[in-house]
Amino acid sequence: MSLLTTSGLTKRFGGLVAVNSVDLRIEENETLGVIGPNGSGKTTLFNLLSGFFPPTAGRIFFQGRDVTHLSPEERVKMGMVRTFQLVSVFNSLKVWENLAPCVAWKSGMYHSLWRFMTTPAASTWADSLEALKLVGLEGQAEAIAGELSYGDRRLLEIALALSLRPKLLLLDEPFSGLSDVEIAKVLALLKSLKGKITIGIIEHKISMIVDFVDRLCVMNEGRIICEGNPSEVLTNPLVNECYWGKQETLERAGVSGV
Amino acid sequence: MGNVVKERGLVLEKTFVAVGKQLTQAGVGQKVLELILIGVVFLILVPFLGAHRATDFAIFCIIVLSFDLLYGYMGRLSFGHLLYVGVGAYTVGLALRYLTTNPLLAIVLGIVAACLAGMAVGAITVRIAGAAFALANLAFNRVGWFLVMSPLKDITGGENGLSIRNLSFWYVNFRNPTFRFWFVLASLLLVFLLLRVFTSSSYGVLLRSIKEDEKRVRFLGYNTQFYKWVTFVLAATVAGFGGALTALNYGYVNPNTLDVHANAGIVFACLLGGSGRLYGALLGGIIYMLITNLLPVYFQRWEFFLGVALLLIVFRFRGGIWGGLEALYSGLAARAKSGSSKEGMSR
Ligand SMILES: Nc1ncnc2c1ncn2[C@@H]1O[C@H](COP(=O)(O)OP(=O)(O)O)[C@@H](O)[C@H]1O
Ligand SMILES: [Mg+2]
Repeated sequence: MSLLTTSGLTKRFGGLVAVNSVDLRIEENETLGVIGPNGSGKTTLFNLLSGFFPPTAGRIFFQGRDVTHLSPEERVKMGMVRTFQLVSVFNSLKVWENLAPCVAWKSGMYHSLWRFMTTPAASTWADSLEALKLVGLEGQAEAIAGELSYGDRRLLEIALALSLRPKLLLLDEPFSGLSDVEIAKVLALLKSLKGKITIGIIEHKISMIVDFVDRLCVMNEGRIICEGNPSEVLTNPLVNECYWGKQETLERAGVSGV
Repeated sequence: MGNVVKERGLVLEKTFVAVGKQLTQAGVGQKVLELILIGVVFLILVPFLGAHRATDFAIFCIIVLSFDLLYGYMGRLSFGHLLYVGVGAYTVGLALRYLTTNPLLAIVLGIVAACLAGMAVGAITVRIAGAAFALANLAFNRVGWFLVMSPLKDITGGENGLSIRNLSFWYVNFRNPTFRFWFVLASLLLVFLLLRVFTSSSYGVLLRSIKEDEKRVRFLGYNTQFYKWVTFVLAATVAGFGGALTALNYGYVNPNTLDVHANAGIVFACLLGGSGRLYGALLGGIIYMLITNLLPVYFQRWEFFLGVALLLIVFRFRGGIWGGLEALYSGLAARAKSGSSKEGMSR
């Protein structure tokens, strides 16, 4: 059984169909890449999967359960965790404080609301540091998160996601805005996770993830136009068309659109 | 001559850094020290203000602390916070008139009533985002005002208010200003301690996370509506405690306790001292009370100074007075660290 499936998933913004009846399938412990030109609906697809907004039509199943109308927090509790295209951490908090509520909750430290409200955040320090070690940020635990470099904040966001012990980790362009060194760091971290958890990763540049993913999905204008193992996908003429021959495709759209 | 001044300055600076160091540490002994410090500050105020005034100041600080939890820590501004002060005060007044002769029991009832009111109103308002949250709470506060002034006029006394006759019971004697002062000071310390524990827990961190980006917190698996509601109820409960004490301090309850216009003063005190900082709320509460009590004696149009102070805070000192002190402390502490090696040479 697949970990996640969608059927006919659709999202409309006014007249624009950002995601158009997508049937997606992600297997357990698979690493799936989602690629496609800008504006093809990749982020919108992840927003639907994570519950950022409800779909216009279609359903989402996670571990066989219909999660289409669950809130984001309920999905996180089931193990669906995401990061954002623009790094999103709590800039006003210290690096370790970013992690405090999450590691406390996940390690079962608090049996009750009262314990959660009265146990000092500092008691999560060891667990927070452990989570930071995973991404190599333990040296900056006391820094204010907003003062980290963009790349380090990306690493912090990933540490935050991992501290929630995800079954499915959805990463939206984790390499965008990062330097080559930082990209290498993030990629190494992701490679160490590969096969242990299920990963869905959006990337704009195919070359970045082609060696890393098990399977690729290509989106264009809200649809999945092709999917399969990376080498198959890259030789598919449709893909080349949507990436390189956009102008041509647009011109022919009226004629060949079925 | 200059040397003496300089040395005095140095001593002052060193004391400041030492105190700052103490306040930034944690631990039980630490908390005890903080409570003693706050107690001493209020004791110093008594000879200048009189016990009754100082009690008033302490009660105001309790209310500002409760508001700071909601506004300073969680980032939710309410214009209707005084509703709970009013509920606490009227419950005490009515309880002592119709139910009991025990002021302590009346206080407990006042706190419970404010808590229940907070639960009901919060369940509706915490769902609302942005400015509408502030206004929705204002609306409920107005409803409370209306209830007191019109339909319930016969028991609340309407505009005239309600005087309390049963102020003493057993050893508890709220007729005695000295007793009132100590009782309220103890209450303030209790509230401070409680909020200190709450705000330094993971829950406290969660509040600050919600303040920065609520939507993001939901993607960490937290039902933010629930935690916002809990915080709202907590703030209402503590405010109700403040209201209950107000009633007993005056032996009298009047509609001013839930006048929406006074809400601005609480926001102001919070900002002045430094929002999102418990010490800021205390300092802001005291200084605001000093300004509003003393300035009118010297200036007819004293509100002008409040306005100037507010503009200064908004444009220059976002962290308020306490935030400014914190910045000064971290600067001086850093200098003390790097300068300790050079000090020998300059002598
Ligand atoms: N919240 C939104 N409201 C309106 N339009 C949106 C919204 N989010 C995305 N879109 C539109 O949907 C299309 C797909 O966007 P997106 O999913 O962000 O693409 P990608 O991530 O593949 O670059 C774009 O045309 C974008 O303008
Ligand atoms: Mg995108």
